[in-house]
Amino acid sequence: MKKKYFYSHIIDTSTLSLELNEMDLTSIERLHLISLVESNIHQEIINLILSELSLPDKKIFLAHLASENHDKIWEFLNSKINDAEEKIKKTVEDLKSELHKDIKEIKS
Amino acid sequence: MTQSHYKSLSDRWRARHQNLTKNLWIKHGESLEWLANNYRQLISGSLGGLMILTGQISNTLPSAPIAATQPAIPNLDKKTFLISDLAQILPKDVRPLEAEEEQNICDILSRTYGIKVTPELEGKRLNRSYGFIGAEQHLIRYPGDNLSSHFDSDEDSELYWQQGMAPGLGAWSYFSPSKEASTQKDKDREKYYIAVPTFLSKDFNSRFAEYRDFYKYRKMLVVNPNNGRAIVADIADAGPAESTGKQLGGSPEVMHYLERFDGSLKGPVLYFFINDPDDKINLGPVTPI
Repeated sequence: MKKKYFYSHIIDTSTLSLELNEMDLTSIERLHLISLVESNIHQEIINLILSELSLPDKKIFLAHLASENHDKIWEFLNSKINDAEEKIKKTVEDLKSELHKDIKEIKS
Repeated sequence: MTQSHYKSLSDRWRARHQNLTKNLWIKHGESLEWLANNYRQLISGSLGGLMILTGQISNTLPSAPIAATQPAIPNLDKKTFLISDLAQILPKDVRPLEAEEEQNICDILSRTYGIKVTPELEGKRLNRSYGFIGAEQHLIRYPGDNLSSHFDSDEDSELYWQQGMAPGLGAWSYFSPSKEASTQKDKDREKYYIAVPTFLSKDFNSRFAEYRDFYKYRKMLVVNPNNGRAIVADIADAGPAESTGKQLGGSPEVMHYLERFDGSLKGPVLYFFINDPDDKINLGPVTPI
């Protein structure tokens, strides 16, 4: 089965899902919050990548993104950005920490 | 308990997403605009990956989660163009707009929504047309109106109960003299109201009666420039004070639709008069034509 996004295989949001599971939420509410987590992650990753690319390369990346050809996206990213995968992982981990913090604040 | 936890998290994460989208457009607007102009030639499948363009996310609880997170194709380019066009004109700081900026923005909004908007009408204008919007409470519509009688449906009650009822009346007193006399128009005027600082208009004190009558239920188009959501609202209260750091206020329903929040998450909106002398334009959300 095709992954939803080109980065889906390198990120793990299960800790957030688990934490939301432990809260007294309806399944619909939980699904909505998870979709918001995914949306925030997506914007952070796109911002990271575009910030690392030149103007012409940004357009190439966006074209690949629109075509949803994940292999081409990774081939391109690996040729243009050093440690692209690690940078994406770190960006996501930083965001996840902030989202966990949000949950903690709201529960307290 | 669940509702407050859910709502707090939902509000916070939606606001975070909007800020991310806004910053994306500020930093990479040229590339995103290029994508917006060419996406029809580029897309092969779903539009999921292109949510960066509109920043559109599900606003409330989804009935079908996947569909709710994907923008509708017909609206994608129009909202995208609107966000892009506005981002090129709006200043980075939320400050009063110059006359040329106002005119350019009014041209864009009038074209996008098919509604003629203007910063000045009949020689009258508010102190500004771009500012932070804060959350107002529900207004009492008629004698005896309270939270138990205020909502048309259980869904509305769940969404908007907690914002509470303002202790005083709106600037123009009740919307109708009694529950029996209350019409749909009266209901909508409360539901989609905004509060603006009428008292900061030029020569307000010396032209009080003139301004009072002009502003009463005057229609304005209120637009969140970060997500392209727009609503036809009416002026039904005066405020907020300058010391609040906010330039206008929105009813719970207006704030919810625009995806704007109060406090540290507050964000700006554009607001312009609608010239509708024959009262043909309905209050409520509007979409690009």
